Amino acid sequence: MALSFKPIRPLLQTGANAWSRWFSYIGLGIGVLLLLCSIQMYINIQQLLTEGSIRKNGFDFVSITKTVTNETMGKPDKNLFKQADIDEIRSQPFIDGVAPLLPNQFRVQLSAGDIIPFRTDLFLETLENDFIDTIPPSFTWQPGQETLPIIISSDFFEIYNVFAPGQGLPQVSKETATGIPVLVTCEGNGQRQAFVGKIVAFSDRINSVLVPKPFLDWANLTFGQQKEVEASRLFIKTKDANSPELLKFLDKKNYKINKDKTILGRNKIIIDSIFSGLGVFGILVVILALMLFSFYLQLVIARSKDNLRLLLTLGYSPAWLSKNVSKKFIPVYILIVLFALALTQLMQWAFHHFAMYNRPELSSFVHWIVGIIALFLIALSLFTNYRLVKNLLYKLN
Amino acid sequence: MQLAIRNLLPTYFDQSVTQTSEIWGKELLFDKGEMIKIVAPSGSGKSSLMNFLYGMRNEYNGAISYSDKNIRQFSLEELAAHRKDHVSIVFQDLRLFSEQTVRENIEIKRQLNPYHTGEKITEMANRLGIGSKLSSRCSTCSYGEQQRIAIIRSLMQPFDILLLDEPFSHLDEKNSQKAMELMLEEANKRKATIIFADLERIDYFPFTRLYHL
Repeated sequence: MALSFKPIRPLLQTGANAWSRWFSYIGLGIGVLLLLCSIQMYINIQQLLTEGSIRKNGFDFVSITKTVTNETMGKPDKNLFKQADIDEIRSQPFIDGVAPLLPNQFRVQLSAGDIIPFRTDLFLETLENDFIDTIPPSFTWQPGQETLPIIISSDFFEIYNVFAPGQGLPQVSKETATGIPVLVTCEGNGQRQAFVGKIVAFSDRINSVLVPKPFLDWANLTFGQQKEVEASRLFIKTKDANSPELLKFLDKKNYKINKDKTILGRNKIIIDSIFSGLGVFGILVVILALMLFSFYLQLVIARSKDNLRLLLTLGYSPAWLSKNVSKKFIPVYILIVLFALALTQLMQWAFHHFAMYNRPELSSFVHWIVGIIALFLIALSLFTNYRLVKNLLYKLN
Repeated sequence: MQLAIRNLLPTYFDQSVTQTSEIWGKELLFDKGEMIKIVAPSGSGKSSLMNFLYGMRNEYNGAISYSDKNIRQFSLEELAAHRKDHVSIVFQDLRLFSEQTVRENIEIKRQLNPYHTGEKITEMANRLGIGSKLSSRCSTCSYGEQQRIAIIRSLMQPFDILLLDEPFSHLDEKNSQKAMELMLEEANKRKATIIFADLERIDYFPFTRLYHL
């Protein structure tokens, strides 16, 4: 016959200080709810802003140009960045990296072949891969290769779709656009060569048409006139594009920053911080509730001290007693966490349905990570309880 | 199970007691099935000895070993298992759950390592004259009745050694004899040792060795 806890249960004076027990239950419920909701909202924000984020690995990426004034107008050497300028920018403590956006030095024409009757002069640029937000593995080029991978700005693509109907051209989706081969014709130095261009990605960060660096280096040598290519735009990598030091430096040098792209990133950081803060607050409430509950347990054990000590004297194992005393609270803990999880689910459904109008990036159900955290919280509460009861009982012996 | 006592002396006793005592400061070995009577006047450390032997207190010099293992080296879990399987005790101060019924008090011990069935509780209670009290709360029982509850409780488990600390202090001669008979029967079934400490000699305990504390 297995040892039963039933005759032992009345020996524990759990009725004492019921208010402290209820306070800790309610506190735990609120803490868990706050924590789960914050995590869920944090995940929602990540999912909503994955597309359109210009931040990568915690850095802002912004482009700068020299301000064209009446004095510098028409003098390209004054408006282009020299190597010395680049070195100076790189040496600033608030800048973590600089890469020039190098343009083509020859004529480029783009046509969509027979599929869409579309032809235009085009410019190409290249940038170090580290600075591009969306880099598929196919974004490479070797001499002799006829296909040319292209990354174009999402903004350009949207502009095309806005003007296409007026020009008698079809509007296309991003998915279709990546499937259409385009003809990229390079001309210069009396030579002409066509490549099959393929859009491999869209960039939210860079307003340009990007090709792999090896291609542009080769093409500038083959079709271009100038030996040295100078950049009119630089991309800089910085921890904070809004830092006063950076802005002061740029003003002093008369450089212009393209800040539009940082706004979304900034907002995301703020929202992330709010929910991180709420999450931390939730953790604090959970800890407080667990502490309050531990006081309650200590009180129960102190009040039942004589009975518990007698049980140990009779030969009851302290480990068995600890396990069973803490087990008594398992249903309550599971109930509290499940209740908080259910409320989080309700919140997520309402948020998706009423605030986000069922946007496809989000789900009406809580993320699986939230479920895992809920399970973890149950395990944590039970473990802390067990350890506490065990320590108290061992002290009694 | 063999019990060995070596040079035992409570830390709060003077060394001089070892000269008169037959237990303090001596080397003793108790084998399975022995009946040990310890006669001890008040204040001679009778309850201290019982508590030391049961592993309840350890303010002593010297050593107590069960089957060659020093009781000081028992972990709390080992001590619990030792009390559950090998050593049972009737405390002088009884130590019952006053708010529980008589049956519940006995059952709490019985379920730990059942040597007897639940019906045996009724049988033993009837035999010792407290059958009608089984459903009463312990706090409503007289001291003599409580003493009999503590005796029955101690017999619910298997044991190699039964420690008795003035178990009949509130019982009349007739009830004491009945209780003694029951304990002797139960000890014989288990081939167990009884260590019986009391203020004076009791004729109906057939001791094999007698010590003065």
